[in-house]
Amino acid sequence: MALIELRKLNKIYPNGVHALVDVDLTVQEGEFLVVIGLSGSGKSTLLRCINRLIEPTSGQILYRGQDVTHIQGKELRQYRKKIGMIFQQFNLIKRRTVLLNVLTGALGSLPVLPSILERFPDNLRQEAMEKLRIVGLEDKWNVRVDALSGGQQQRVAIARSLMQHPEVLLADEPVASLDPATSHSVMKYLKQLNTDYGMTIICNLHFLSLVRTYGTRVVALKQGKLIFRGKPEEITQEWFKEIYGEEAEEVEIA
Amino acid sequence: MGTETKSQTTTAQKFQALILDIFFGIYFVVTLHRVFYYQVLLSLRKLPPVTVEIVLLYIGIGTILGLALFFLNASPGKLIFRQLPDVPWKKAVAEHFLWIIGVLTIATGWVVTRVSILDFFSQEGLAGAKRIFSALLSPEWSILPQALLAIVETIYLALMATLFALPVAFILSFFTARNLMRQSPITLGIYTVLRVLVNFTRSIEPLIWAIIFTVWVGIGPFAGTLALMVHTIASLTKLYSEQIENVDPGPIEAIEATGAHPMQVIWFAVVPQIVLPFLSFTIYRWDINVRMATIIGLVGGGGIGTLLMQYQGLAQWHEVGLLVLIIAIVVWIMDYLSARIREALV
Repeated sequence: MALIELRKLNKIYPNGVHALVDVDLTVQEGEFLVVIGLSGSGKSTLLRCINRLIEPTSGQILYRGQDVTHIQGKELRQYRKKIGMIFQQFNLIKRRTVLLNVLTGALGSLPVLPSILERFPDNLRQEAMEKLRIVGLEDKWNVRVDALSGGQQQRVAIARSLMQHPEVLLADEPVASLDPATSHSVMKYLKQLNTDYGMTIICNLHFLSLVRTYGTRVVALKQGKLIFRGKPEEITQEWFKEIYGEEAEEVEIA
Repeated sequence: MGTETKSQTTTAQKFQALILDIFFGIYFVVTLHRVFYYQVLLSLRKLPPVTVEIVLLYIGIGTILGLALFFLNASPGKLIFRQLPDVPWKKAVAEHFLWIIGVLTIATGWVVTRVSILDFFSQEGLAGAKRIFSALLSPEWSILPQALLAIVETIYLALMATLFALPVAFILSFFTARNLMRQSPITLGIYTVLRVLVNFTRSIEPLIWAIIFTVWVGIGPFAGTLALMVHTIASLTKLYSEQIENVDPGPIEAIEATGAHPMQVIWFAVVPQIVLPFLSFTIYRWDINVRMATIIGLVGGGGIGTLLMQYQGLAQWHEVGLLVLIIAIVVWIMDYLSARIREALV
């Protein structure tokens, strides 16, 4: 059974933009799926529809065969817990410490009142430190996140998502605001989660060179339509021009 | 679909232009006749009474004028909405019409507020001004203890009003922030009702609230505190909720994605972004409240304003001079301190 299945998914925003057009997509467990396409092609919308941060206008989302298109409340929160997410702008709580930010990843399994009083159980704190060790930031646990570099902040965000014990990790342009060297370090952590822990990764990317290095499968969006499905090496010059337009030139990332 | 919405907006704008033209027409006729003809040309001190017939005549002539301008495409309304076809002489008519309206408005303002250079520089008037300024500039120091006691009352009055208002405004602000309330029709309904209520409350000056509360709880500082509190709740709610509407939505998404409860989302993703601006607004509001508290005293809201009113009523200008001096010093100090504290916060 497929892990995630999208059937004829459409999203029309209130301002009339048709961001997703009849998208059919199946994601198998253990894949490192990369989504490419120009800015505004619907990549972010696609990712956010999977964990229902954005409500699709029509179509179906199946998770392990279960229809999750219209679940609400507690059921929706239970579903979101299984899906970690990291973002281009990291989206951390800026004025707080690294450890607290990592702990917020566990909010979905904590009762509301104690968590608001920031009473986190000791075993959770230990687990948070373990996750920080995975991303190599355990010595920074007591530092405010706005004092960290971009790459370090993204690694904190990865540690935060690991606190959910996610089955899937959604990565929305995770390296778009990082320099090339840092980009590779962050991508390597994602690859490691994929190979060592068998975590399914769905990642939006700009650079084709990164796609070829890290992806096991690629899909391409153009004006909300899925126009390409295949292996990274199958993206030929013709496909490249088709996806990015005639004017485009491929840039290498070192 | 794009062309459809475009034609819809142009019909809406055409209608607005028509309404504007009719308004301009009537306004032109009324000001031209009652202000320019009677008061500027004839210099009448006493105007002929306004009868139903004359009102109907104004509306009739004004409407015809407005419609004529609109359909001849010399319409000032269309000019404002940039919909006027490019015919130079018609455009010139519309432009000149708007200029005349502007001049008539200034003439009307002059007449209505009874601007009088003569009164300003009259012998008698200047003597009065000299008397009051010299009294104000030689304050009566014997009432200093009484004045200090009153200003302390004013400062505490402002502080209590701000402190009482703070928790109420804090809670209300979440319900009046559009980005948090647009999820469902029910929350959007609550948002709309509260927003209207808050805006209405805020539009009533604290002075009016003070009059209401002096009737309710009697003359004194408590009435003043309540008046300031009500107005502070309304204005802080607005300032706070605008701050909430401006928070970075990124952390909200991130916390939502962890499967967190909406309460947890607000606590971890929204609250950390707003604490400092909220604190800064609150201190600023206390500063404003000290200034307002002096005014509130004028209608019996307690504090130094009440004292000021008493001495002014007795025409004891030397005492008034001292009170004004103390108010000025305290307001200046508060202003300076609140600015420094806010700088340190942000």
